[in-house]
Amino acid sequence: MVKKYIAYSLDEALDILASKDVYIVAGGSDMMVQKKNTAGLLPKFDKDVLYVSHIDELKKVYEDKDGIHIGAGAHLSDLENNKLVPELLRKCISEVASVNIRHFATLAGNIANASPAGDTIVIDVLLDAEVVLVSKKGIRKVKAEDFVLGVRKIDRHQDELIKELIFPVHKFDKELWHKVGSRKADSISKLSFAGVYSLLGDKVKEFRCAFGSVAIKVMRSHELEKEIEGMSLSELNAQKDELIEKYSHVIAPIDDQRSNKEYRQKVAMNILAKFLDEIIKGGK
Amino acid sequence: MAKIKFNLNHKDVEVELDPSTRLIDVLREHFGLKGVKEGCGEGSCGACVVLLDGYSVNSCLLPLANVEGHEVITIEEFSKTKRFEVLKEAFADEGATQCGFCSPGMIIAGESLLSHNPHPTEEEAREALSGNLCRCTGYQSIVHAVLEASKKGEGLW
Repeated sequence: MVKKYIAYSLDEALDILASKDVYIVAGGSDMMVQKKNTAGLLPKFDKDVLYVSHIDELKKVYEDKDGIHIGAGAHLSDLENNKLVPELLRKCISEVASVNIRHFATLAGNIANASPAGDTIVIDVLLDAEVVLVSKKGIRKVKAEDFVLGVRKIDRHQDELIKELIFPVHKFDKELWHKVGSRKADSISKLSFAGVYSLLGDKVKEFRCAFGSVAIKVMRSHELEKEIEGMSLSELNAQKDELIEKYSHVIAPIDDQRSNKEYRQKVAMNILAKFLDEIIKGGK
Repeated sequence: MAKIKFNLNHKDVEVELDPSTRLIDVLREHFGLKGVKEGCGEGSCGACVVLLDGYSVNSCLLPLANVEGHEVITIEEFSKTKRFEVLKEAFADEGATQCGFCSPGMIIAGESLLSHNPHPTEEEAREALSGNLCRCTGYQSIVHAVLEASKKGEGLW
């Protein structure tokens, strides 16, 4: 018989985590589906469960010198309406699941589940967010990009709890979030794209882009980003096709119930091409 | 098993159940509140939506543990309000109900929207109802009903 624990404070949660191997449930919007059972029966948890939604320390959203701190227990709908939260993340959240689910789902839960189709992970990775893990031993910070290791695999030790995500405060000239799903709302992405850039005169000062649902995890190429940064807009124009060809090898889409690899490959590169075209036109 | 207290339809209640029990099962089986419907059981259809502290949530995905100390309102309690009367009339006038299975969830999602945004645009109404599926009406009439209720119920929300 598996045990169920409800933690009311961070200390209480860390005590349990120090001695037990548990599933951690925050909002529950993903775990309750993964462990779904026949109606009327308990969800099929095959090991102990720790419920963390009552921990007030995890609900804080604030800004300090390190950036914007988003508590692991903050609901997506609260973040959607909070002006402190990076605008691109808010845009992304507004297309995650449905209004009903956003009322209790959490940002930390999305990255902790590490689904290749987790929308907000694309933004976490793109904006260089850090995942802050806490245990009785102390604090450990991991870049969102390194935190997700693969499909449903994350860099969390058994005694650790995600406390918050920290987003650096940084303004770009332009930001784009593009989700491709089978319907406008309440859909799981076939693929997603996020990109940001800033120009300095006729040169690309900063460039980043990340792809979701087209590999085992969110994909971003620091190498290609460095190659693009510093290019003049005419150089970018001249090398556009070559860059798209290179980016086509960064992703590795597969066939599944939502889409197929050809569609995902083609559409991801089309969105990238459109994004590059916008930059080449000087952001107009 | 754990003793869990919460406020259900304006009454303090306590149940002794596994904290992983889905809220929908607590409501339907333990309290006999059968207005809360189960469609998909995985958060896609919205038939099980109830108000948690005033916001629409899928009761099929909520473990009882997360409800402790919070307020839950189901369609049974909401149907005693003036706001419900306005929504019900608007649903009837617009033909927004056919088989009726989605209606409790639609009404609760409508209430969640109007109580936080009394004068929604059509876009906002569509967004608010986007987590609730209806296989009869084609949605137009439901969206119109919520917008109609917003006008007719001026001052109630």
